[in-house]
This record gives sequence, C-alpha cells and structure tokens, in this order.
Amino acid sequence: MMARKPGVLLTLIAALILLFMNGPTLVVVLASFSDTSYLTVPPQGWTLRWFTEVLNDTRYMRAISTSLWLAAGSTAISLLLGTAASYAIHHRLVPYRDAILSAIMAPLVFPAVVIGVALLQYVSLMGLRGQPWVLMAAHVLITLPYVVRSALSSLHGQNPQLEEAATVLGAGRFTAFRLVTLPLLRPGLIAGGIFSFVTSLDNVPVTIFLLTPRQSTLPVKIFAAVEHGVDPSIAAASTMLIAGTAVALILAQRRVSFTRLF
Amino acid sequence: MKASPLLGPWLLFPVAVLIVAGFLAPTFLMGVLSLRSYSATQGLGDGWSLLNYIRVLGDSFYLEIIARTLALGALVTLICLLLGFPLALFILRSGPRVQTLCILLVIFPLLCNIVVRSFGWMVLLSPNGLVNEALMAIGLTARPVALMYNLTGVVIGLVQIYLPFMVLLLVPALQNIPADVEAAAQVLRASRLRTFFSITVPLATPGMITGSILVFVLSISALVTPRMLGGPTYKVMATQIYDEFMVNLNWPSGAALAFTLTFIALVLIWGANRIAAHVTRGITGGPGQ
Repeated sequence: MMARKPGVLLTLIAALILLFMNGPTLVVVLASFSDTSYLTVPPQGWTLRWFTEVLNDTRYMRAISTSLWLAAGSTAISLLLGTAASYAIHHRLVPYRDAILSAIMAPLVFPAVVIGVALLQYVSLMGLRGQPWVLMAAHVLITLPYVVRSALSSLHGQNPQLEEAATVLGAGRFTAFRLVTLPLLRPGLIAGGIFSFVTSLDNVPVTIFLLTPRQSTLPVKIFAAVEHGVDPSIAAASTMLIAGTAVALILAQRRVSFTRLF
Repeated sequence: MKASPLLGPWLLFPVAVLIVAGFLAPTFLMGVLSLRSYSATQGLGDGWSLLNYIRVLGDSFYLEIIARTLALGALVTLICLLLGFPLALFILRSGPRVQTLCILLVIFPLLCNIVVRSFGWMVLLSPNGLVNEALMAIGLTARPVALMYNLTGVVIGLVQIYLPFMVLLLVPALQNIPADVEAAAQVLRASRLRTFFSITVPLATPGMITGSILVFVLSISALVTPRMLGGPTYKVMATQIYDEFMVNLNWPSGAALAFTLTFIALVLIWGANRIAAHVTRGITGGPGQ
C-alpha cells in the first residue's frame, strides 16, 4: 500500500506499543538479576543467586526436564504422524478429506480449558490418570494442527511433477518421497516443528488438568508458585524460559521466513 | 503414480486413533456428563436432565460470570484493534530493516510463555510495582492504585498477550489494499483523514473481523491470565470451569459451563467466517460485476 514514510507521531505511537508488548518480559529478566530478596525493577545490585537457587532446586529441575521431554517428544511424534497424514490428505489417498482435516484442526478452535477438562474426565473414568503417555498424547493432540498446517501448505506449494519424475525414473513411492518431497518439505516442517515445540512448552490450560500431584512442568510450576507469593527465583525460572524461546526464535529466523508461521 | 489403496488409510491411521480416542470421545463423554444430574451429597445421579444447563443459564451467579467474560472479551478486542492498527500501519510504512525488527518484537512476546508474561505484569502492576511507583513519583496519585486483581489488570494482561495476533493479521490485510485506490482518493482531494476512514479502514475490514474474532475467542477462553491478574475472586468462565472441576468437584456443572463456552466460541467463529466472506465479496465487487 502507501509508499508514504511513517510520520513522527506514528513512530512514537508504534514505539510505545512495542514497549508495552515487550515490557513484561524485560521486567522479568531484569528482576531475576536483582540482589534483593523481593522483586524490584530496576535491579539493585546484580546477582546470579536466584539462578543457582533454581538450578539446585530438584522440583524446578524435574519440572524443566519434564517440560523439555514433553515438548521434544510431542514435536517429534507430531512431525512424524502429521507429515504422514498430510501426505495422505494432499494426495487424495483417503476419502472425506475435509472432515478429517477439520477434525485434526478442531483442537485449535476449541477453548483449551475445555479440551483440558474433557481429557481429565475421560482419563479419570478410563482409569488412566497419571499414566505418563497420557500427557504426551494430549500434547501431540494440541501440537498436531500446527505441523499439519505447515506440511499441507508446503505440499500445496510443491510442483507435483518433481515426484512424478522421480517415479518415472524408477524410484518407488517411498524413495520418491524421501529423496524429493521430504527435502522440499523441510522449511515448512521446521517452521511447524518450532511452533509445535513452543506450543507444547508453553501449555498450561490442558496440562494442568492431567498432571498428578507429584508431576509438574515449568510453566505449571511457575503458575502454582505465584499463588504462594512472588519471589525472585520465579523470575529466574521465567528468564530461563524466555532465553529458551529467544534461542528458538533466532534459530528459526535464520532458517525460515516468519510469514510461514502464520 | 499408482498407490496401494491401503496406503492412505495406513498413513492416516495413527492420527485418526489419536483424534477419535483423544478428542472426539472425551468431548462426547463430557456432553453425556453435562446431561447427568448431580448432588453434592450423592455425587452423580442416574437420570438425564438439562438441569445443569438451566442452572448455568438461569443462576445470576453464573450469568454474571458469563456476562463479565463476554464484556471482557469485547473490551480486549476493541483495545487490540485500536493499538494494532497504528502499529500495523507503521510496520508497512517502514523500511525493510525496521520492518524485520518490528516483526521480531511482535513475534517474540507471542512465543514467550503466557505464565511468564502474566507474571511480568504482576511485577509491574502490584501496589509497590513499577507502574504505581511511577504514578506516585509524577504526583498523579498519593496512594497506590489497585491495578491488579480486578478488571484493569486482566484487560492489560490479555491485550498484551493477544495483540500480536491482531497485528500479524492486520499487516497482510493492509498490505493487500492497492496503492492506486488511496492515491486516487488523494488526487480527488480527499484529506488524509478522510482517505484513512473512507478508504483504508473499510478495505481492511475483512482482516479486522478475522483478527477481532480470534482475539475475542482467545480472550473469553483464557485461563492463566485471568487467574494470575484477576486473583481468586475475579471470576471468568475459564477460571470457573477450573474451579468446578478442581475445587468444587462438581463435574456436571463444569461440563455444562464448558459446553456453553465452546458453543459461544464456535458460533462466533462460524458467524465471523460468513460475515468475512460476505464483506470480501462486497469489496471486490462480487461475481456479478
């Protein structure tokens, strides 16, 4: 649209809005380095004390490792199952494609808290509560739509003749997929995978209903800790989560354009 | 390419099992449960009834929560539109380097954990937080203002959390407006303001509708932010569903409330898609012209 340069007023407004959007994160990071036993910004004296406290707290460490395993596991499973399903849908290998696609995307439209309580009820009535794979399956369910969406849009953008050429040259269907389609799918799958990882890592409204009292993930742990009052170790744990997100974002930015994510 | 007729079903099988067992069955079961009677002393009853829905939709306690949730969603959506529009305009009018930086600054909070961001707001908005200190320092108030555990806090938190979605949907909507149309308006001596309100805004309407519905639906479903910034007393639908399931252990009531929320969300999404399609047809002239 307009080739006009942004005016001073618009620039100022935009800067303020961007500050508003990033303020809370900035505050958490700053507060986690403060040398006071209460939360304060700007920090008064610098310390890494709160980070060592978190790293020495076995409950935090267990929550962090649960979070990472859950995010990595569900992303890997989502990528595998989602790519297979997208391939079948894209190549019209199954009937009722629209209905199937809507069912896969439905967890994105349903309020997350509703999915959480529905699963809680179901799992309790089936006597499966506390099984570790239940949480993994729930996370695959909520991350799958992102993978399928990226995989399908990459498949749509591909030239179908490339795969056909491979088969004409004697490659089997699987070989053609592995050598031609999959490399072309990579950017889309990386984008979908990163979004899936972050979604799993962040999730509270589904996870919180499925955890046993002894289990926790990092965001749920922070969420629960806040109810007992705020202290700098919560800020330190949050900063670790922010740092993880920033690293994922930087890695992603090198590989894929962000317009693909949405 | 010939494929075995079983290839497709095999490829889809794991996903189908997951969706049926992990999503459709639980949702169906919750529907069944929301139609069962329940009493605090005897637990689940045998009969079928609409009592849970009648209670949720007829009790002033629940009605107030539903009304509050919808009003909250509307307010958050409106503010997101008002803030999202100028930022999207700025992003479009800037050079490529500023553009990339802005997009990063919009996406970064989107990817940051919601618990962490709400926690950041708790630090900022608490009675001895940065915002209150600043307000007192410039003499706007003598005593700390209550900025959280009320509507203000929840609105601030939700706006910050869902604003990125609005911006990311408004940017392409504004980008698709042909430059000629605005240039034409200016040639015809329309003022900048008039061009903005009678050309730019109407042409961006489909994007605004999509963004608004997304923000509204996400806001009324939010659990974490209302809980952290609204505290235990400021109740919205999602936090009440949580309480019914985890605190009151009244699952049928919670299920009825959950279905009410889902119904509102799905109807809105369905309606918005129809409106957006209609508006788009109106703008592009429709098939007949």
